[in-house]
Amino acid sequence: MNKAQTMVEKILSNKIKKDVYAGDMIISPIDLAFAHDGTLPLAIEKMEEMGTTKVFNKDRVLVICDHASPSPSEKVSNVHIMMRRFARENRLNLYENGDGICHQIVLEKFSAPYKVIVGADSHTCTHGGLGAFSTGMGSTDIAAAMIYGKTWFKIPEAYKIEVNGALKHNVFSKDLFLYIAGKIGADGATYMSLEFLGSTIKDMSIESRLTMTNMAIEVGAKCGIMEGDEKTREFLRRYGREKEFKEVSPDKDAVYRDELYIVSEDVEPMIAYPHKVDNVAPVSDFAGLDIDQVCIGSCTNGRLEDLRIAAKILKGKKSKCRLVVYPASRDVLLKAIKDGLIDIFVEAGAAVCPPGCGFCIGRTIALGDGEVVLSTQNRNFKGRMGNNNAEIYLCSPATAAVSALNGKITYPEGD
Amino acid sequence: MSSEILRVFPSDINTDEIISGKYKYDELDMNKLAVHTFESIDKNFYNDARSKKDPIIVAAKNFGCGSSREQAPQVLKACGISCIIAESFARIFYRNCFNIGLPAIECNDIAEKVSKGDKLEIDFESGTIKNLTKGDIYKFKPIPEYIRKILDAGGLIPFLKNNDGF
Ligand code: SF4
Repeated sequence: MNKAQTMVEKILSNKIKKDVYAGDMIISPIDLAFAHDGTLPLAIEKMEEMGTTKVFNKDRVLVICDHASPSPSEKVSNVHIMMRRFARENRLNLYENGDGICHQIVLEKFSAPYKVIVGADSHTCTHGGLGAFSTGMGSTDIAAAMIYGKTWFKIPEAYKIEVNGALKHNVFSKDLFLYIAGKIGADGATYMSLEFLGSTIKDMSIESRLTMTNMAIEVGAKCGIMEGDEKTREFLRRYGREKEFKEVSPDKDAVYRDELYIVSEDVEPMIAYPHKVDNVAPVSDFAGLDIDQVCIGSCTNGRLEDLRIAAKILKGKKSKCRLVVYPASRDVLLKAIKDGLIDIFVEAGAAVCPPGCGFCIGRTIALGDGEVVLSTQNRNFKGRMGNNNAEIYLCSPATAAVSALNGKITYPEGD
Repeated sequence: MSSEILRVFPSDINTDEIISGKYKYDELDMNKLAVHTFESIDKNFYNDARSKKDPIIVAAKNFGCGSSREQAPQVLKACGISCIIAESFARIFYRNCFNIGLPAIECNDIAEKVSKGDKLEIDFESGTIKNLTKGDIYKFKPIPEYIRKILDAGGLIPFLKNNDGF
């Protein structure tokens, strides 16, 4: 007998051609496995232990130099050499210095509804914003996935997050997710799939949606997922992949273990304060706090829409603190150049850096002792940006830009 | 065989705290990397761990949240940790532990019930932990069958080798 299914149950049932439900253990084929310079070296080592460094299918494995890229040191350069050798031997697509962050590249080149994607990076959950089932794993799991083209999953229970209504003009999907993180807590959705529904999500651009699925892991979720709709189709069309579109939606009577209903009008511009992502408060609570640096970018908020929002605020003005901008990919950078956004950032005093993870893990740019930073990234853990004695606050691109203009955390008034 | 609790950690210990991301590019040898384990929390962790036989660590909720870096359970293993007991684990970390053959056990309220230095005896078959110091017995959630097979094989690699794949 067929039972109603959640989005993730549908996708995985489709993949293994058998109806499966939360709690079932399955061995599933995967459509893509990827790893980056922080995780691939260990995966290669694990493949060697398994007795082969040959991948199952050269078109379904990607490797990306993004975390410490362009290379800041001899050791990292040698890691990149090892990655290039692995890619050459397997005839894989390798993304180089300046190509961008792994998730953004996978979104542009690969993700689509109903795909099953595993990545050796915790924010692999991002791809659910395009209706894919995607999850992060460690290097051993990814090594096995690269060799066998399969992995095991326990079908996660689902947490329905339904958001309805119109967000205020100065509230963005980042604020909405931080608000949700405050409600659910850092472990509130452990091993569950966050299934986002409601009119607010439907009305959002794909880029805004991706900001939210990107952060699913911050509440412990295995994945985040959203419906595949006309906006998904349009996104795929932009990247010449419209044919890969399929509608995704849950059955009406799908079973959710938990449910959270949010009224968009209740959400304020939010901030996450050190050192946990679920330490959230309205921006107004921290207004006036001095900051040393503002960072705009990352796989959470480094897309064209984010840069547009920030540039609109910065246009013709000067930042009062250090300002760093990392577009998420080469494609984003090129579009930002064409749109004149990069001129605005440079004139505002920003250091515009080549696409990559950059500040987010403090590998190519690190903080000093006692510094306070406001960033659009997804994590504010102690030491995250390369210094245990720095304080990281998280916010939307709008709050980041307006705060840069004051050198202090500032409430975004909006237009 | 009993083992001593080396340390009891609070909730939400993340993988950056276990091993800072800044080292992972510079060192692929886990035994060398392990020197930095828990560096931002406890500078003596590595030496303390190495001075004991098969020590155990205990934590409250959501242990190992954050990055997917497998170096986190790897360095704990390289420190000689024989088992991690927590009220709950972040799932990528949990899966990584078994993949490298390090048992991770979920046990309700464990962080409140035990203290540093307690000697524990763990029985995976019956799902019980005997606290030899306090004289208490705790039940833990059985490890799911498939994961148990991976653990019994010594990790995912030997498991896949024995099975010739998945
Ligand atoms: S931008 Fe940050 S969170 Fe995203 S993949 Fe890079 S390091 Fe990870």
